[in-house]
Amino acid sequence: MSNFVNLIWNEQIKLYAQKSTWVMFIAILAIAIGGGLLTKFMGEEADFKEYGDNWRTELQEENAQLLADMEADEFLQFANPQIIAENNYHLENNLKPRPYDGWEYVLENSFLSSLISLFTIVVAAGIISNEFKWGTIKLLLIRPISRTKILFSKYVSVLIFALTLLLFLLVTSWIVGAILFGLNGLNPSIVQQQVAGFAQTGVIGEIVEGYGLSLVTLVMMATFAFMISAIFRSSGMAIGLAIFLMMAGNAIVAFLAQYEWSKYILFANTNLKQYMDGGMPLNENMTLTFSVVVLVVYFIVFLGAAWTAFTKRDIAGQ
Amino acid sequence: MSKPAMQLVKLKKTIGKKPIIKGLDFEIQAGEVFGFLGPNGAGKTTTIRMMVGLIDITEGDVLIEGKSIKTDFKNAIQHVGAIVENPEMYPFLSGWKNLQQYARMVDGVTEARMNEVVSLVGLGNAIHEKAGRYSLGMRQRLGIAQALLHRPSILILDEPTNGLDPSGIREIRKYIRNLAEKENVAVIVSSHLLSEIELMCDRIGIIKNGELVAIENVQSVETEESLQEVYIEVEPLAPAKTYLETQLANKIGVTAKELSMSVKREEIPAILKKLVEQGISIYGVRVLQATLEDKFFDLIGENTIE
Repeated sequence: MSNFVNLIWNEQIKLYAQKSTWVMFIAILAIAIGGGLLTKFMGEEADFKEYGDNWRTELQEENAQLLADMEADEFLQFANPQIIAENNYHLENNLKPRPYDGWEYVLENSFLSSLISLFTIVVAAGIISNEFKWGTIKLLLIRPISRTKILFSKYVSVLIFALTLLLFLLVTSWIVGAILFGLNGLNPSIVQQQVAGFAQTGVIGEIVEGYGLSLVTLVMMATFAFMISAIFRSSGMAIGLAIFLMMAGNAIVAFLAQYEWSKYILFANTNLKQYMDGGMPLNENMTLTFSVVVLVVYFIVFLGAAWTAFTKRDIAGQ
Repeated sequence: MSKPAMQLVKLKKTIGKKPIIKGLDFEIQAGEVFGFLGPNGAGKTTTIRMMVGLIDITEGDVLIEGKSIKTDFKNAIQHVGAIVENPEMYPFLSGWKNLQQYARMVDGVTEARMNEVVSLVGLGNAIHEKAGRYSLGMRQRLGIAQALLHRPSILILDEPTNGLDPSGIREIRKYIRNLAEKENVAVIVSSHLLSEIELMCDRIGIIKNGELVAIENVQSVETEESLQEVYIEVEPLAPAKTYLETQLANKIGVTAKELSMSVKREEIPAILKKLVEQGISIYGVRVLQATLEDKFFDLIGENTIE
């Protein structure tokens, strides 16, 4: 076991000794700061409004104003009813609206997890094929360590890298958010629109759910890229295929939705959010258990193919 | 003889339907430097890759300290240090960090051992520079360092003098001899250059088209009872030639000042004595050794790749 830890340690050292890895962290930092500044100075003023003690009257006045605006400008008829509904939810449930804060900024940044998927794909695609490109695979595989162990140390390293990036995104978003917008307490509740209407939830729960669900796509696509890298020993191909599928995945599912078997497509199952908050799955026969089973099967197939390619084939020609 | 350090048992490799290695069968003893010689494409690297388990063995086996590389990989490979083809390193890591990578993969390699190996290969302060900036010679040294880290009993070096300057080649030759003689390591050195291998090896296996065509002891070639080309500088030239022709059945050649003839080594003193007795002055005698190179070309013939 200790040498498995050493192998992972080796992989992490190689990873962080490359400049491209640091570029990824810098990109995330830049986007977290840039996004924060953009929200702060270009965002909707209403979001930052501090309500006083007589917030009920303020909200009612706001609603009256919104209604009046709607009559004057047809264009506002799309946006305003939603704001009015949200205000009414606050009034009905006796919840004083709170200004936008750092927690909400963290929650909003969960969309950046697709950037993390992208970076993880790049790393997963390179972690095997680069050893072939550098020629170092020959020195790596003539140690008294089985190829299986080396393969899995690389896979685990990819997952550790993905989690590190995710944690980095969370922490930088939180710090930037806290500095720019302040924090409304330790776990403030927020009002969010869901399928069934508005609801109040704790923000940390929402953050865990948002980022957690994004991990499904992340892990599946990283595993896919890892497999392609092990089979074809080419990082370009692995990156290209994985990113293409990640981008086109939903379109492929939509295109094939008319067929019953489309529910077995990986991308029909990666979005587990479809089963939450009263959502509708793509296909009425699909359940959360079904999707989890499909995901696990894909996962095993990907890793099995990578393992077969890596442990059985000759290392020749470099 | 004691148990061989490495033993190739009817080793074969077939890729597709094409036989690449057609049954190699030889042994390498501890403390011996074994040269693996053959033209490019003869199958040297394929054989080395099978020895270290990088490619599958189609038939036969490689036994390292008695352990099969096929069925007991970990216990077999732990005795081996190797460079396979070019010594490629992580270009973005320093030489030292490259070594650390390999040190972490086996038990018992201490920092003291790493320092020892670094000074042995003479990398000195360059060890803390990025390997990407190394010259081929420096990479070769780092390659040897990683191969020696875990004190292997068998060292496999594929074209180890590639890219080294003459003084570097001499040094490597010295380490290799030293390792074999002082630490009883079995060293396998592959090369397509005979002149190099000849100087450092005890035995040479010559491979051609996937077959071992000969195993030669390096010393034996020189002492063999074969004919040698002898040049004798004499004065006067013409009478000496005529005289020798009456004495020897051999054909006598004449150059500007010398007579040349092919004779056995043991005949030389007698010939000289006869010339002296005839009052012919001898200014010099040269013997052209029948070199390993001639032998090599005799065995290899034309370098055809099937």
